[in-house]
Amino acid sequence: MAANFWTSTHYKQLLDPEEVDVVHPLDRERGVTVEDFKLVKMHMAQYILRLAQHVKVRQRVIATAVTYMRRVYTRKSMSEYDPRLVAPACLYLAAKAEESTVQAKALAFFIRKLYAEEKPRYERYEIKDILEMEMKILEALNYYLVVFHPYRSLTHLLQDAGMDDMTQFTWGLVNDTYKMDLILVHPPHLIALACIYIASVYKDRDTTSWFEELRVDMNVVKNIAVEILDFYENHKLIAEDRVNAVFNKLALKP
Amino acid sequence: MTGLDLSKKVADRYLKREVLGEGTYGVVYKAIDTKTGQVVAIKKIRIGKQKEGVNFTALREIKLLKELKDPNIIELIDAFPHKGNLHLVFEFMETDLEAVIRDRNIFLSPADIKSYLQMTLKGLVVCHKKWVLHRDMKPNNLLIGPNGQLKLADFGLARIFGSPDRRFTHQVFARWYRAPELLFGTKQYGPAVDVWAAACIFAELLLRRPFLQGSSDIDQLGKIFAAFGTPTASQWPDMVYLPDYVEYQYVPAPPLRSLFPMASDDALDLLAKMFTYDPKNRISVQQALEHRYFSSAPLPTVPDKLPRPAPKRESHNSRTSDFNPPEGPTVLSPPRKSRRVMPEREGFEGNAYQNDKLDDHVSEVRPGLGDHASRNEQVPMSLDFSIFGARPPNRPTINSADRTHLKRKLDLEFQHPE
Repeated sequence: MAANFWTSTHYKQLLDPEEVDVVHPLDRERGVTVEDFKLVKMHMAQYILRLAQHVKVRQRVIATAVTYMRRVYTRKSMSEYDPRLVAPACLYLAAKAEESTVQAKALAFFIRKLYAEEKPRYERYEIKDILEMEMKILEALNYYLVVFHPYRSLTHLLQDAGMDDMTQFTWGLVNDTYKMDLILVHPPHLIALACIYIASVYKDRDTTSWFEELRVDMNVVKNIAVEILDFYENHKLIAEDRVNAVFNKLALKP
Repeated sequence: MTGLDLSKKVADRYLKREVLGEGTYGVVYKAIDTKTGQVVAIKKIRIGKQKEGVNFTALREIKLLKELKDPNIIELIDAFPHKGNLHLVFEFMETDLEAVIRDRNIFLSPADIKSYLQMTLKGLVVCHKKWVLHRDMKPNNLLIGPNGQLKLADFGLARIFGSPDRRFTHQVFARWYRAPELLFGTKQYGPAVDVWAAACIFAELLLRRPFLQGSSDIDQLGKIFAAFGTPTASQWPDMVYLPDYVEYQYVPAPPLRSLFPMASDDALDLLAKMFTYDPKNRISVQQALEHRYFSSAPLPTVPDKLPRPAPKRESHNSRTSDFNPPEGPTVLSPPRKSRRVMPEREGFEGNAYQNDKLDDHVSEVRPGLGDHASRNEQVPMSLDFSIFGARPPNRPTINSADRTHLKRKLDLEFQHPE
């Protein structure tokens, strides 16, 4: 969509799907499987969302934070970079990068709160830890901080297709794509299109001619849509005990 | 702290040399990149005392410079943490445009001016294509490298303007470079603010002194209107709806030629288009680059033939932009220009009478350059400022009051705990 995406570092950093779900050797030694890995990332996306709701930031900040977190784990291990710290630190960094700063103190407060409520799944971390991790995340991200999201394209595209009434439904679909690694693999406007495609099939709208007029590869759009639908099929819930089991694995010495 | 141990390597790669100065958020020092042999400038961003981790301004700069790679934009070569502080590695730049403009030993030909302006606009067009507003364009943020290349630097105030409804603070730019819409408090603005600032830089290159030296925001507008006439509703329909709009007494525009007697017709035409009041009608950077000024003779000087200040004994890097040379900004009081006394009026400016504006205007029309000898000057050239107990205004930057204000503004909420 936006002409600048194609010259952005986001575009240059897009990965092949095979590059994304690779369990780091250090984690593999501890018996972490690809499924475990996906589950933890999904769980941490959820954690970011929960913290974000407490500290009140825009959806964009949440999306950027999740993207940072997912990028970090294409390069670093979960055993060295505890997801329960990486997640809030990514939120902290994303808030700054998206120009709506969150106080470290406030974040630490809600980390403690969630920890008190649900002990094993969250870990207690302090301001000092967040700030230290912020620096490590910056390094892991190779200092690339600008991320594009499907939201803006979504609004434009829906308007263009005359489907403004679908905004809420498709917006929700886009939010859910952050439970997957799609943002690391596909250009954001194609993710938006896939969500519109699902919506039009689901709500029985004929958008064939509209899609035909767009100069996009419909195969890619349909593939993304299938991925999203598969995800809904397989991960209706985040099984909490399974998440805890993975953290137990990570805590073990290999 | 400031690196007395000169032989020490930082992060196994950089050989630390002398400290160049104190930047906005930490020490800047010169270093040799042992990997490439290149001379670099390293900004050390203090984190230790900060309760909010990596400095917000520094983070902005990192974020944007990683996206902006261009020959006319300063290169962020590397970034690394070291002893708990973040270090940013930039290409080393010899001087800046302010030093060039200020150096009385330098003669700038029309072709030289064209070249400096062209490089400025080329850097800016890259920013705007990527939806980045620089928001702090001024000669001292335009750095000049060893081969004469001019590069935009200091992106600490820059930001992405993608979301159309986002409101921004209007407290950006050093005052003399602030567009009228900003001075009237607009919160929704675009690339046109950078164009205005670039026009001020263009004018400064032509005049060899800052063009519109307001001493307050009100006075800045007065100076602008004195130069270009008070804008009319037809010129700028939206003006009256701006948050801080105040009515100014009508003054007609003097001929632009009278302000820039030495400039070519093409230069004046471009300048007028860049100084257009209504931001919607102001020329874009891309259009400015396509203006015939750049294709007509004389062609822009090639960068490495451009005049630059003689190298100093102990190299003061331009990166130390916050630091004022002890002798003071000579450009403010060149002895041969009677216009120097004009800032004096600021002494009475507190009352901000509209009449003062008119007075200013009358004297501003007087050509400042070139024909001073032929004119019967009303004010003796040797006039001592101290008579008025005031001095010409210092080149303003975003001052601490602005900064505090900035921090309070919606897009910079950044409170320290405690």
